[in-house]
Amino acid sequence: MTKHHLQSPLLIGGVALALIAGAMLLGPGAALLLTEVAIMALFATSLGFLVNYGHMVSFGHAAYFGLGAYGFALTAAKLGLPLWLAVALGPLTALVGAIVFGALCVRLSHIYLAMLTLACSEIVFTVLFQAHDYTGGDNGITNFMKPRFGLTPQMYAAVCIGILALCVAFLARVVASPLGLAIQAVGEEPHRAAALGFSPRTVQLTAFVIAGTLAGIAGTLYSVFHGNAFPDYAGIGITVDALVMVVIGGVKSFYGGVIGAVIYVLLRTFVSRAFTHWELVIGLILIAVVLIFPTGVSGLLQKLGLSRGTKSEVQVRT
Amino acid sequence: MSTEPVLVARNINKKYGGFVALGGVDLTLTPGERRAIIGPNGAGKSTFIAVLGGQQAGGPGGTVHFAGRDISGAMPQEIARLGIARTFQISRVFRRLSVLDNVRTALLPGAGRAFALSAAPLARVTEPAMQMLADLGLSKVAHDVADTLSLGDRKRLEFGMVLATKPKLLLLDEPTAGMGLNERRGLMELMVEHAGRDKITLLFVEHDIDIVFRFADRITVMSRGKVFAEGTPAEIGANKGVQDIYLGTEGAPHA
Repeated sequence: MTKHHLQSPLLIGGVALALIAGAMLLGPGAALLLTEVAIMALFATSLGFLVNYGHMVSFGHAAYFGLGAYGFALTAAKLGLPLWLAVALGPLTALVGAIVFGALCVRLSHIYLAMLTLACSEIVFTVLFQAHDYTGGDNGITNFMKPRFGLTPQMYAAVCIGILALCVAFLARVVASPLGLAIQAVGEEPHRAAALGFSPRTVQLTAFVIAGTLAGIAGTLYSVFHGNAFPDYAGIGITVDALVMVVIGGVKSFYGGVIGAVIYVLLRTFVSRAFTHWELVIGLILIAVVLIFPTGVSGLLQKLGLSRGTKSEVQVRT
Repeated sequence: MSTEPVLVARNINKKYGGFVALGGVDLTLTPGERRAIIGPNGAGKSTFIAVLGGQQAGGPGGTVHFAGRDISGAMPQEIARLGIARTFQISRVFRRLSVLDNVRTALLPGAGRAFALSAAPLARVTEPAMQMLADLGLSKVAHDVADTLSLGDRKRLEFGMVLATKPKLLLLDEPTAGMGLNERRGLMELMVEHAGRDKITLLFVEHDIDIVFRFADRITVMSRGKVFAEGTPAEIGANKGVQDIYLGTEGAPHA
């Protein structure tokens, strides 16, 4: 299968429907786990899009996850807005945050851009942590709603998978569009792209805002999932989780974030039951990936596919 | 052909710290002209091209007018949209995109569709892009990732990208550097053919004197950040001072 086929909306929709049907058959515990996987897959995919296509490594992507969570939780809990409106305001908050911080961050590139993204997310984290009167500080915002709006775990898993599928299909569309080519062109060779008439910063900001908004959707879903919001949702820990997912899944693959999230969340869940130092396992896997197959699991799958003689448009450079 | 100049650069200067890379360069190009810039390493040729293209800011007092319009200090993308294209000394293509997508991407800003989410604008630029690849002899590899191309083909691809945009002025920084002897002439013939057909004015920095004398209408000789001489190939060929500059440094490889 070519990369084009793998990113077709029909395939994405079909897989999502199969997963939704499967979710209905799961027990509550498994459904909760599936929900966690779906939300983290969305968050990691948004970061992977930024890294893979925009060539922008963010050390502060959790800022938009956190803004998505707090945009929802604050408007629902403190302003008492109807939940459907608050749900829309979560991603919108992340979008506005991504415009403001993104406009600053895209002025630089490489490690300097990464440091600016980190600084921006530290600002968000600190505000959420310190503005105790509004955000409850490290006590977070809790007890303002039934987790998942009272939906069964199976139903909420289905909702999250559906939204993940819509977002992935949207990104597939972006990647294959003129905008997607512009984002990749500017990401790879900003001087070449500018000399062709692209405005590098505008294109990069567009990519940044798309990634930030999708992270915000993930943050809102996560806040609804647990019925709470904590400053840690905007913390460096969640960013690092997503970066690890993207690297394990494949930093140069469209589905790297999804694959990485599945592996990471499952490992975290099951290895931690058997073994208290589960981070050690993740660390070893990460070392193996970086040293032995730097294109991640998806790169490995692609190589296996190639060796079986399937025609595949290689988008991975080792 | 109109004699109104297409490009007028006046007093272009550039300093790096205390080092004067360009010390007041003047250059006027008439439409359809094929101008070569030659000169020893460190003469400021590439810096001059970079100031014209907007990649580097020139020092105060220098002005560039393109088609009667002041473009001094404009951003590279603004300059590109006005119709000045350029290639780079070390060719730059989008390595992870397919060869076809490289050319299609180049055509998007001109089509005004750099931010479109619909695939339709891509379909519209596919035919001119494929035509360009056919001219370059790259049709067979149209769907390969550009990273898999040889150095020479990558260079051809970059030329195809800029030619496809049908610029009014094309700046080429050492177009034939790093290519085989046969490839060089073929590439320049292709370039000149397109330039003639689409009325593109060419300004190229080149070290291969054979290429320069074969393809340039006029030659500007630069040395130490200044214009040392300017004239037809015959005039430059007969200029004793130019021979001195060149014979002194010709042995050095290009930077």
